[in-house]
Amino acid sequence: MTDRERHRLELMEFLRTIQRPDYPLTAINEESGLVESGLIDSLALLEIVTYLEQTYRVDFNERGIDPEDLRSVNSILELIARASVS
Amino acid sequence: MNLAGLCAAYRTISQFHENHRLIAWLSAQPWVVWLTPERRKSVLFYGAIIAGAVGVFSRNAKWRDYRALAPWLDHGLAFLLLLGLLYTLYLAAARFKQLPASVRRRPLICFHFLFWLLLALLWFFRERSGFALTVLSTIALSFPYLIWRAGYMLLSGQRGKALTSRFRDHLFYIWPIWDGTNTPPGKGHDYLSRVIAQTPESYARAILGGFKLLLLVALWKVVLELLAALVYGDPKSSFSALFHGYTLGLPRLRQILSAHSVTPLAHAWLSLYLELIWETLALAAKGHVWVGVIRLFGFNIFRNTYKPLLAQTIVEFWNRYYYYFKELMMECFFLPTYARWFRNSPRARVVAAVFAAAFAGNMYYHLLQHKEPLVSAEWNRLWSLLGARLIYCGLLAGGIAISMLRQQRQRNRAQVVPAGPIHRFRRIAGVWTFFAVINFWNVIGHLTIAERARLFFSLFGL
Repeated sequence: MTDRERHRLELMEFLRTIQRPDYPLTAINEESGLVESGLIDSLALLEIVTYLEQTYRVDFNERGIDPEDLRSVNSILELIARASVS
Repeated sequence: MNLAGLCAAYRTISQFHENHRLIAWLSAQPWVVWLTPERRKSVLFYGAIIAGAVGVFSRNAKWRDYRALAPWLDHGLAFLLLLGLLYTLYLAAARFKQLPASVRRRPLICFHFLFWLLLALLWFFRERSGFALTVLSTIALSFPYLIWRAGYMLLSGQRGKALTSRFRDHLFYIWPIWDGTNTPPGKGHDYLSRVIAQTPESYARAILGGFKLLLLVALWKVVLELLAALVYGDPKSSFSALFHGYTLGLPRLRQILSAHSVTPLAHAWLSLYLELIWETLALAAKGHVWVGVIRLFGFNIFRNTYKPLLAQTIVEFWNRYYYYFKELMMECFFLPTYARWFRNSPRARVVAAVFAAAFAGNMYYHLLQHKEPLVSAEWNRLWSLLGARLIYCGLLAGGIAISMLRQQRQRNRAQVVPAGPIHRFRRIAGVWTFFAVINFWNVIGHLTIAERARLFFSLFGL
């Protein structure tokens, strides 16, 4: 299993804990906007920030928070990949 | 036709912008095919230059003043300097990595510092007059309009996304041709370039979405005119004659806040709620114009106002009421604070970020909005315009922070029971009451803060 695949599974597992109860996680693809598709509310983005800080040591203090990085599953995975390299 | 049939017919009409046949027909029109993303951007770019020039001239003097040569020279030079300044900022965003480290770390703070330096210069020389000071004043007066938009451009540079962009990709939203607010609807290049329609079909969808919003504007304007005639007895309303002067004759909130006479308690409370409805509809109408026009140019952006009166929490209302203002506060104040402060205390982190956005950022934004007294250093006038707003922003920030923390707590519970209709109604009523009450401190009136406070407490029988 590649790092990206492992990160994706972990992320999906986490998204299940913060998603709206009435929304199926399977209904979105990796490019869909998480807030735009209705899976999570904008407040849940903050929980994604905390999750990324704690799980992948992403330093938002250093890089700042770009909402575009948290928009979709794909963009979050790319952020994790960039953070792992740096 | 039965009820189900009526509902289906209503849905077909109200959702006409998603009708596949209509989309297919529109996307086959030659002008839709001809207006490629690049051509649309060119129209916006040249339109922005013209509108920007008109803006600098018309905002800073009455047209009759241009009978003399001096205003032409002053404002002409100010226009060129502003254009030059924006181009310099674009170069800074495009070559962001070459900027000094301190600027790279806090680009927005540095940019705003530049503006305050200019203000300090004008305050220092305010007793003097002359060509240079007139030009600098014109630039300072134009700055609040440009500062947030140019800020989005710098943020794009900081995120490494402005590197391959051109000046024309930015100018049309920095000097837009569709609105007159300091808040940038459609945010900046990063968001706009993501949502621009690339094919005739997606452009047709954007046009229909924009057209629907412009129809909604007409509807909300009619409702506002009806409210003006029936509730407030406004003689200027187009419907005044229709109702033969029949009206509830309730005062607007600003009339209550400007008069020293006593308003009956029931009228005052009704006025508070009606003011909230009025302001929401008025803002929705204005925002739909901005967003509708942007969509006509093929940018599928979010609505500025989306059913806030149906929000069940304070934070949801804040999110739906004035989306692009909320986004601005989020990006410039909330997220930077959230990223840097109280990282080991989740609750303090949220509270600090909310107060940075809804209190400090909100106050700062409105301070810049009162540009004339700010540039001419009229402190008493600024205090009379903004004093009560300090209380409004404090209450707003407190309400949002509590609402966010409650939502977070509820989410962490194992099972969330869906709310029934009565529970939902109570939640919505609670949100209305909160915003109607704090709006008391938001509306500008002639009363002093002490007089306003006495009136405020009298609403609760105190």
